Amino acid sequence: MTGGRRAGGQPGGRAGAVLVRGSLLLWFLLPLVPLVLWAAAERWSAPAVLPQRWGTAGWSAAAEAGAAPAFARSLLLGAAVAAIATPAGALAARALAHGLVHRSRLVSALLLAPVALPPFAVVMGLNVLLLRARVPALVGVVAVLVVAALPYTTYVLRVAYAGYDTSYEEEARLLGATPRAVWWRVRLPLLAPALAGAAFLAFLVGWSDYIVTVLIGGGRLVTYPLLIASAASGVGNEAVVAVLSLTSLLPPLALLLLAGASGLRGRGGRGRPSPAAAAAPAREVVVR
Amino acid sequence: MTAALAVRNLGRDHGGGQAPALDGLNLDVPAGSCLALVGPSGSGKTTALRLVAGLEVPDRGDVLLDGRSVVALPPERRGVSMVFQRPLLFPHLDVLDNVAFSARVAGASRRAARAAAAPFLDLVQMGGYTTRRPGQLSGGQEQRVALARALAARPRVLLLDEAFTGLDVALREDMHELLHQLRAVLEPTVVLVTHDHAEAAALADSVAVLSGGRLLQHGDAGRIYTRPASVTVSRLLGGRNEVPGVVVGGEHRSALGRLRLPTDVAVPDGPAVLLVRQEAVVVTGPDAPGADAAGTVLAVRAAGARRALTVEVVSPGGAAVQVHAETSPGQVFTRGERVGLRLPSSAVSAVPPEDAGTEEPEIADRRTADAGRMPRTHRVASPAVPDAGVRPDAPGAPRRRNHHGDHGT
Repeated sequence: MTGGRRAGGQPGGRAGAVLVRGSLLLWFLLPLVPLVLWAAAERWSAPAVLPQRWGTAGWSAAAEAGAAPAFARSLLLGAAVAAIATPAGALAARALAHGLVHRSRLVSALLLAPVALPPFAVVMGLNVLLLRARVPALVGVVAVLVVAALPYTTYVLRVAYAGYDTSYEEEARLLGATPRAVWWRVRLPLLAPALAGAAFLAFLVGWSDYIVTVLIGGGRLVTYPLLIASAASGVGNEAVVAVLSLTSLLPPLALLLLAGASGLRGRGGRGRPSPAAAAAPAREVVVR
Repeated sequence: MTAALAVRNLGRDHGGGQAPALDGLNLDVPAGSCLALVGPSGSGKTTALRLVAGLEVPDRGDVLLDGRSVVALPPERRGVSMVFQRPLLFPHLDVLDNVAFSARVAGASRRAARAAAAPFLDLVQMGGYTTRRPGQLSGGQEQRVALARALAARPRVLLLDEAFTGLDVALREDMHELLHQLRAVLEPTVVLVTHDHAEAAALADSVAVLSGGRLLQHGDAGRIYTRPASVTVSRLLGGRNEVPGVVVGGEHRSALGRLRLPTDVAVPDGPAVLLVRQEAVVVTGPDAPGADAAGTVLAVRAAGARRALTVEVVSPGGAAVQVHAETSPGQVFTRGERVGLRLPSSAVSAVPPEDAGTEEPEIADRRTADAGRMPRTHRVASPAVPDAGVRPDAPGAPRRRNHHGDHGT
C-alpha cells in the first residue's frame, strides 16, 4: 500500500491504489450482502443461491418483537453514556495532558484498565454489589458503561489536549475575550472535532453493549443488542435478525456522516484531529 | 486609541533560586512611538512583553498606560494587542471573522463586526481574502491577517513578539514597510521584540538592549548604534570592532594610533575600548589623505551586496589589532592588499573595558557593571577585550561571525 502511494504519480501506482481501496470496500461490504438479502427474504433454504420468496415479513416480525422501543432505549442509553463520559473524559484528559495529576501514569493506567479487563469478569462481581447497594438497574447500567467508555473518551481527548495550543487562548484574551468567551469561542470550537469523536465512541459503547445490560440490568432493560441476541438464539429468525442487524448500523453510520460533513466544513484548519481519525478505534468497540 | 507606556522596576522570577527572568526594568515609550526590545534568547525581552500584556503577573514593579497602573487588570481589559511569531489565526473562523473577533467578543453582531473588520483587512492588503480559511493562506499572508486582527481591537499599545522572524527576507521587508504605513495611519504605540538588531534599526524610534533579564541600555535608535554604553551592548547590536587602548584627555590611543573622541563621549582617562561600527569604517587606498590607519586585508567575505573586510593594523610598537569594515558595492579588495582606514569621528565611541570580574567594583557605570555579570556563554562568544591580536581563526572569532550571520536566516 505504501508502495502504491509513493508511486502516486504513475498510472500503475494509481491503479494499485484503486485496487487496494476497492478490495477494502468489498471486504467491508461483502458481509452485509447476506444480511440485505435475508432482510428482504421470506423463504431462503439451503441450496438456493438467492431467496426463493421475497417479502417484508422480517420487518413486521421485528416490529412485533418490539424493535422500535428497544431502538429508542438503546439510543437513549448511548446518548446518556456519551453525555457523561465525554465531559468526564475531557476533564481527565485535560488534567493528564497539563500535568495536573500526581502519578499520572498510574492514573492513566487505571483509566485505561476497563479496556484491558474482560468485562464479563468485572461485571459478574459488580452486579451483586450493585444489587446489594440497591442501585436501580438503569443507573447501574449507565454507570458501568460510562466507566467502560471513559478509556476511549480520555484517550481521544488526551491526544487533542496534548496538541492543543493555549497560545490561541492568550491571543483571544488580548483581543478582549473574557475567560468565558475564550471557552465558548476558542477552546470549544478548537476541541470540537475531538469532542465529537470522543462522544461518538462513548455512544457506541452504550449503543452496542450486551453484557453489562444483561448482567447489571438483569434483563429488564431490553435494548437493541438484547433483542438481536434473543432473536439470533432462536431458530428460523434469520430475517428478523437481518433486519435488526441492518437497522442497528444506522445510528453509528448517521453520526459518522454527520461528523464527516462538519469535518469537511471545517477543513483548512491545521492541527485538528479529523473525525475519521478519532473514529478509527470505533470498529473495535462494535466488534466487542 | 494610542497611549504612553511606562514600565517601572518590573521584575519576574523564574523560581527555583534561578536568576530572575526580568529584573528592575524601567522603560518609557511615548504615545505613538515604537520601541524595540533587543537581546539574545533568555534575555527577558519576551517576558517583558508578556508582563505588559498581562499574560504573566509580575513579581515586582508596575506597568502604566497613560500614567495609570494596569497591573491589576486582566489581559482583556488592558487594551493591549499582541502579534506572536506564529500567526495563531483561529482555524475555525474565516479570515474576516478572525479580524472581527475583537468586535464579536465586545458584543457586536456578526454582521456589524465583519463590517467593522473589513477596513483593517484592506489596510494590510488582504481585502480579497475575506472568506478564506487560515490554512489556505501563506505564512506572510497569515501574519498580515494577524496584524489586522490585532489592530482591529484598536489597542492602546501594540506588541509584536518576533512577529516577522518566521518570514523570509523579502516578506519581512514587506512587513516592515507595512508597519511603517500602519504607523503613519493609526499611530499606535508599538513595542516590538526582536533578536535582529537590523530589524530594530529599521522599525523603532528607540531601542532597549536587554541581557540576562536586565536593561543594559535604552536609547534613541539613531544614536544607540554609534554610542553603545558598553562592549556588551555594542556586541548585541552587531558591532564587531573593539579596539583596546587608553583614553587620555578625550583622545583614544591604541594600535590604531590617536583618535579624537566626539565631545559627547564622556569617558574618564584610563583604559578604554574604542567602538566603531563596521558599516562606518571607510576603506581607502593605503596612502589616501585623511586615513586614520593603514593595514593589510586578512579576509574578504561577501555580505549581501557589500563585502565584509577584516583588516589587520600593526602599530609601530608591534601591537596588532583587527578592524572589521564593510565596503560599498563596486569596491574590490583582495587578501593581502594594503588599505587605509578612516574612522569618522562622529561614529566612534569609547567605553571602559569589561573583562575581569576583579575590576567590577571599580567601575562606576552601573550599566557596564551589569554587563559584567552576563552569563558565561556571552563572554565566550567573543574574544577577551585586552587580547588585541584577535585572529580570525581564534576560537571566539567564528562564533561572532555566526552570531552576525544569524540575522539573515
